[in-house]
Amino acid sequence: MHKMLVEKEVQPHRRSGLMTYRPKMAKKLLRKSPSSSNKFNSANMTDDFQLHLDSSDDDAPEEVTFEESKASALRSMKNALETSKREKDLLKEKRRKRQELFQEQKKRRLLPAHILEEIDTAPAKKQKLPGDQAESNHEEASCSWEEGREGSKEGYEKETKKGFKGNIRSLKGNYSVMRVADQSSTNSQQQTAMDFIQARLYGPGSQRTTNNELLSLENKRGPNKSAAMQFVNKKWGTEKKAKAEKLKKQWIQKQKVPSS
Amino acid sequence: MGEFKVHRVRFFDYMPTAIRAMAFNAHTERLALGRMDGSVEIFNFADHYFQEKVIPGKDSRSIEALCWVGGRLFSAGLNGEITEYDLENLRPKYSLEAYGGPIWTITSNSQGAHLAIGCEDGTVKLFEVLEESIQFERNLDRQKGRIISLSWHPSGTQIAAGMMDMIRVFDAVSMLTTVLLVDRGFGGSKSRETVVWSVVFLSDCTIISGDSAGKVQVWDGHTGTLVKTHLVTKWDVLALSVSKDESSVVVGTSEGTVIQFQFIAPTLQQQQDKEWVRTRTFKNHTHDVRALAEIETAIVSGGMDTQLVVRPLLEKFDERSHASALRKIQFPHRNLVFCAKKAGLLLFQFPGQLELWRLGESDGHGKPGDSLPLKRKPEKLLHLKRKGEDHICCSALSSCGGWLAYSTMSSVRLYRLQTDNNDISITKVPKLPKILRSAHQLCFSSDSSKLFAASSQSSVLVIALSQSECKYVHTLKPKSGSRQPIHLMTNSVDGKWLATANSDCEIHVYNVQKLKLHCIVPVYGSCPSAMGIHPTTNNLTMVHADQQIFEYSIVEKQYTDWSRKLQKQGLHNLWLDRDTPVTHVTFNPKNPEQILLHDMHMFCIIDQSLPLPDQKTQFYNQMTLRSLSEQERPSHLHAFKICKTFQDLLSVSLLDDQSLVMVERPLLAITSQLPAPVRQKKFAT
Repeated sequence: MHKMLVEKEVQPHRRSGLMTYRPKMAKKLLRKSPSSSNKFNSANMTDDFQLHLDSSDDDAPEEVTFEESKASALRSMKNALETSKREKDLLKEKRRKRQELFQEQKKRRLLPAHILEEIDTAPAKKQKLPGDQAESNHEEASCSWEEGREGSKEGYEKETKKGFKGNIRSLKGNYSVMRVADQSSTNSQQQTAMDFIQARLYGPGSQRTTNNELLSLENKRGPNKSAAMQFVNKKWGTEKKAKAEKLKKQWIQKQKVPSS
Repeated sequence: MGEFKVHRVRFFDYMPTAIRAMAFNAHTERLALGRMDGSVEIFNFADHYFQEKVIPGKDSRSIEALCWVGGRLFSAGLNGEITEYDLENLRPKYSLEAYGGPIWTITSNSQGAHLAIGCEDGTVKLFEVLEESIQFERNLDRQKGRIISLSWHPSGTQIAAGMMDMIRVFDAVSMLTTVLLVDRGFGGSKSRETVVWSVVFLSDCTIISGDSAGKVQVWDGHTGTLVKTHLVTKWDVLALSVSKDESSVVVGTSEGTVIQFQFIAPTLQQQQDKEWVRTRTFKNHTHDVRALAEIETAIVSGGMDTQLVVRPLLEKFDERSHASALRKIQFPHRNLVFCAKKAGLLLFQFPGQLELWRLGESDGHGKPGDSLPLKRKPEKLLHLKRKGEDHICCSALSSCGGWLAYSTMSSVRLYRLQTDNNDISITKVPKLPKILRSAHQLCFSSDSSKLFAASSQSSVLVIALSQSECKYVHTLKPKSGSRQPIHLMTNSVDGKWLATANSDCEIHVYNVQKLKLHCIVPVYGSCPSAMGIHPTTNNLTMVHADQQIFEYSIVEKQYTDWSRKLQKQGLHNLWLDRDTPVTHVTFNPKNPEQILLHDMHMFCIIDQSLPLPDQKTQFYNQMTLRSLSEQERPSHLHAFKICKTFQDLLSVSLLDDQSLVMVERPLLAITSQLPAPVRQKKFAT
């Protein structure tokens, strides 16, 4: 809030570009601001205000030249940039430190280099789930080596226990196993394309009708006019007709039962 | 002539697949047709629109567009792959993943050096066409929407791409793109984007586009401005095709209409500028037209109603003839129904399965034309699903009903059937010879001891069958070294002869007992559409795609006298004017002079003992003969007895007990299972 007030006072100053006079009221507000202005990092701004406050109330307003105000504006922008840079650097430092910490921790967990080399040269076996399987293989290998090692550190003992547990562990996260053959061969892009064309030709707004209607229209407009397809052709829509028959019988039954 | 009991079979639920894309090769005069199930058919337009080759589909393959580069056929589909087809072995040569997502269109430039594909992710990818393969060259600038259609400028330097709500013109020289904005439709469709379904780039830099708002728009490619809009339909304009001389453009719509625009002067005054004027409208389809091609003398269209319609343009013909009539190709030009004559079983071939049915029985007697009551209904004995993704290419059933075989592009399977009273058991024959990988045609010998499989380069593999195993015996190779596949195969009843016909119109006759080539029938210009070997005389009867009939004596290695007589007299005009080919030739064991043939609309018995009709005799004379008295009849008889009672025939066979089996598939039943057509409001309905 205070920041806003202060900036408002400065802006009309800059906008005019000429020598301006600040109203007396502003000066009172300014007096209150020094305490809050100390919270800012812009030391120059406070210097500015100090200058103004030094002069007495009865004096004519200060003549502030354009160059001065321009300089102060540039300074404030530079300060803002510097603060943001500093903040970024700080964040970077923090992140670097964290990364280093993780690396160290990882190093502690890993085996000495020569054992790793030996494991890497051994041929890679089945790679079904590349990420998980590789990890578990790695851990399995590490466990077998562990047994022969003397003077194992605590970290490694922990590792072996984790390793064994890891072999029987359930897959974390949202994984499911299925065969490639079971999936349909159309991938999502192909499916989108097929849906697009289906929607354009047969989707909403395409004004389609049934084959029944097409043929019935032909019947009605042809040289020998006859009825709609489902009546002319006995085999047309047999399921619908069967259903209608069944419903009719049920209705008749219902009618009979209350009366009897 | 004879009375026959007829088994009228209508329980074959044959359902053809919708046509999705087509491409015409003007050099070889072949039309390639891509269907929704991934199968590709090649029609020979120089030979009476005969369906020469069929490459079966595959579950994972989808075809959105086809294009020819020279004699090579390429297709692209929503699975993101470009496939080149081997037309000699009827299989895909290779498939190249384009890594752009689903591919919507593929087109080649007029020089035949590059292929451009339009992908779902907004890229236009250019491929270089090499000797044996294609190679990725580069991507054009990636766009924000999907690329639905593409067209090369004849010079090969510019490509027009139809996308959502706009057309982009890419220039290879200046690397700039021009954007032509397509506006949306009226009323409710303002909220949906307009899809530019097809676009055509002409050599004078005019671009013609058809979009989902039903408009056909003519743009000036130089300035990028709209010249004219034609609102053609309320629904989508799905396909566009331009003629070779760029004077006519045909447009296919969702309504099933095909509209022609021609580049002519709108009035008869001289010195009038030519412009694109809407001239003709054809309504030959009931459902959406999704594929169009304008060839020199005709407009070929196909769509969701599965029919291929060839509409010849009448101004290109001097007189009304058979060549200028409308042609509709509805059924395939090959057999899908196989009959075991001794056992009374029928095998139906579907792309995904095989069905084995036993025919019903009836005891009754009646007058000609009566329906006899059924003592036992026909029953489905077996429903055999195919293994794997490839669709079934061909199948065969032995005449005793004991063996069943089918082939896909990747494997051949052989089964042994045993029927004990009412039970049927099927066992698969496990180890087939390794050489039998896939077959284009399969045929059992009449004593079920051998299986003949047509393999690559017109060769035939002979496999000997014993109780429940099989052994490879020999490969029969033709002398001509033809690389074309065999599409017809037939063998004689006495098991001595085997005749094969391939797409090069060559017919070879092999001696099965000596396992060598016996003779080659003189090549006739048209492809044979049906062949049969007579049980007693061993004469090979051939019917060609142009409806000519020949009879060749295998033993004497020359044409028979009857055949020479027929050729001298010439066939009747009404016979030659039929527009569907004969797909099956069979014989009557009890009457050796009869030849039974059928095509989609008629069933014919040719009696070789009767005189041949000349041009003036009444050809369809069965009804007339019935009305004549006994004395008058003999003078009016002629050899061709045609029956049109049974329509939409898929197959006709004669069982050993002298009853005919007619397998019909009413077109109405096919129409009832098609996807939804558009709703058209007609006055007073």
